[in-house]
Amino acid sequence: MRRPGKQGIGSHGGRVLAITMNTFTQLVRMKVFYFLVVFALIMLGSNFFDLPQHGLPETFGFSVLRAVMSWSLGAMTLFSMVLAIVATALLLPRDVEDRTLYTILAKPVPRIDYLAGKLFGVLLLLAVSLAVMDLVMLGVLQLRMSLFMGQVEAMEAAGQAAEKVARMRAELLANGPDWSLQGAVVAVFLRAAIMAVLALFISTFSTSTLFTSIVSFLVYFLGYFQADMREAFLRTTGEGLGVLERGGALLLTLVLPDFQMFNVIDAVIEGAAMPLAVLGKLAVVAGFHLLFYLLASWYVFAGKEV
Amino acid sequence: MTDATPAVEIVDLVKDFATSFRRRKLRAVDGVSLRIGAGEVYGLIGPNGSGKSTTMKALLGLVAPTAGTCAIFGRDSLRVDSRQEVGFLPENPYFYKHLSGAETVRFYGRLCGLSGRVLEDRVGEMLALVDLEEARDRRVGGYSKGMLQRIGLAQALVQEPRLLILDEPTAGVDPVGSRQIRDLIFKLRERGITVFLCSHLLEQVQEVCDRVGIIFQGKLVKEGRLEDLISIEDQTEVVLRDASPELVARIEELAVTGGAELVRSGRPRTTLERLFLRETMKGGKDS
Ligand SMILES: Nc1ncnc2c1ncn2[C@@H]1O[C@H](COP(=O)(O)OP(=O)(O)OP(=O)(O)O)[C@@H](O)[C@H]1O
Ligand SMILES: [Mg+2]
Repeated sequence: MRRPGKQGIGSHGGRVLAITMNTFTQLVRMKVFYFLVVFALIMLGSNFFDLPQHGLPETFGFSVLRAVMSWSLGAMTLFSMVLAIVATALLLPRDVEDRTLYTILAKPVPRIDYLAGKLFGVLLLLAVSLAVMDLVMLGVLQLRMSLFMGQVEAMEAAGQAAEKVARMRAELLANGPDWSLQGAVVAVFLRAAIMAVLALFISTFSTSTLFTSIVSFLVYFLGYFQADMREAFLRTTGEGLGVLERGGALLLTLVLPDFQMFNVIDAVIEGAAMPLAVLGKLAVVAGFHLLFYLLASWYVFAGKEV
Repeated sequence: MTDATPAVEIVDLVKDFATSFRRRKLRAVDGVSLRIGAGEVYGLIGPNGSGKSTTMKALLGLVAPTAGTCAIFGRDSLRVDSRQEVGFLPENPYFYKHLSGAETVRFYGRLCGLSGRVLEDRVGEMLALVDLEEARDRRVGGYSKGMLQRIGLAQALVQEPRLLILDEPTAGVDPVGSRQIRDLIFKLRERGITVFLCSHLLEQVQEVCDRVGIIFQGKLVKEGRLEDLISIEDQTEVVLRDASPELVARIEELAVTGGAELVRSGRPRTTLERLFLRETMKGGKDS
């Protein structure tokens, strides 16, 4: 007699999207985007730091471009990490405290939809802010580039050797923004995404935002030793590698993300290229952790009394 | 009516909460069974901490029962789709402070799978229903207690549920506001919507409810139709008009005849309040 009450799987998407957008708006209206202003100020500030170095004038432009990249990627890492952890750690406890969770779960919302919505909201925020930071970085790099190109042109006009001028021009171009740099930004995003899902998982059983944040940062640091730990694990047992050790190493790989994989970001700052295959591998690993921890969060959250 | 699936069916519900110290469990709900037929207005009354909210949360699947079952229109409360037909207003509701009134109702509408034109129409309708049209674009963070209660009603009703669960809908609402909420419940009853509410304001429960249950220390100590519960069986009421004091005195002697007009005779009512006190005091002594 009324609207058909039956709602298919198709409406999962609608609900997740509603929670995602709500989470995104919530974070935006909490004024988190102000940090973008701070980022822009840092970038502007970095412009004043390149007092002529005593290095050769030929390598001057080169090093300034690299410095800008290093500054920006460093700031992006910091902001995205803090944002991923603190924003996620804030969301669940707040809903529980304000009892908004009651009203949400009293609607036909599966708990996995709620968790996925929260996570995607944070990921959306991360993606948007990294995209904005990326644009600022590219803008600054472009500006620098054109300034140096102008200098090179002036040198050319002043009658410098054509060969030298051509070499400088090529070097500048080689150190300008390229696809590897974009790959590095994507890697920064993937790393922050892993931290967000970790923080989400921790917040399903933690009782405070502070605890969640601290444990998440701890896991982040531990993640840098994951590869070493796994190696140590496998080495101590030597030849007779038992099932237990293998299992332990495997579990470690599953549970603790290997953040050393993200050292490729630093390599890009140094001027190395980031092959698509490497980025693809990072994406697969991040995707795995996202799924793993989202399901783990669901497992804990499904039994939770709200 | 009786053969239709009941709107609410709670069977032997038990809910224990773990207390942090000593392994002692706290039994919040102790063997409650309830059946609310479609279209009824049911009031659950009981002192603080007697398990009213816990019963409602179990019915909504927000807490898992230790024993027993809850079902809404025949669907077990632990299933997500049982919530399709129910709207819930928690006690002292708070909503996302960053949303405006209209955005709040829209958000909950989306959660129920509404979208597009239908959703927008519902949002407008609901805000009109709870009289929050002027406040629709203001942030919920700045709403007063009564406004929060009303926006809570709006979100509860957004998907046109057949069952409405209200946990102390008039707590902290001024007399005018609570009158509006009462009128709204009347309106919903006319439309055939089942209402399950709990409240401390017994007068209001008495006004709107068809049936009431009294819960005390997790047990349902009394339940039935309001009219039956509050009639006193071994007394007869005589209502007189234009009776002089002497006449009253004589009637008291004669108890039957006199020159006065007998307006009505029947069973006098106690108030729900007296019944409530009697039941909860009695229960207090034997436990
Ligand atoms: N999450 C919980 N953890 C532990 N104990 C709880 C929890 N929720 C409720 N209780 C306990 O269960 C009992 C019943 O609580 P409930 O909230 O159902 O009472 P109520 O009848 O709604 O009271 P009030 O009129 O004050 O709202 C109380 O003793 C309360 O302390
Ligand atoms: Mg209560």
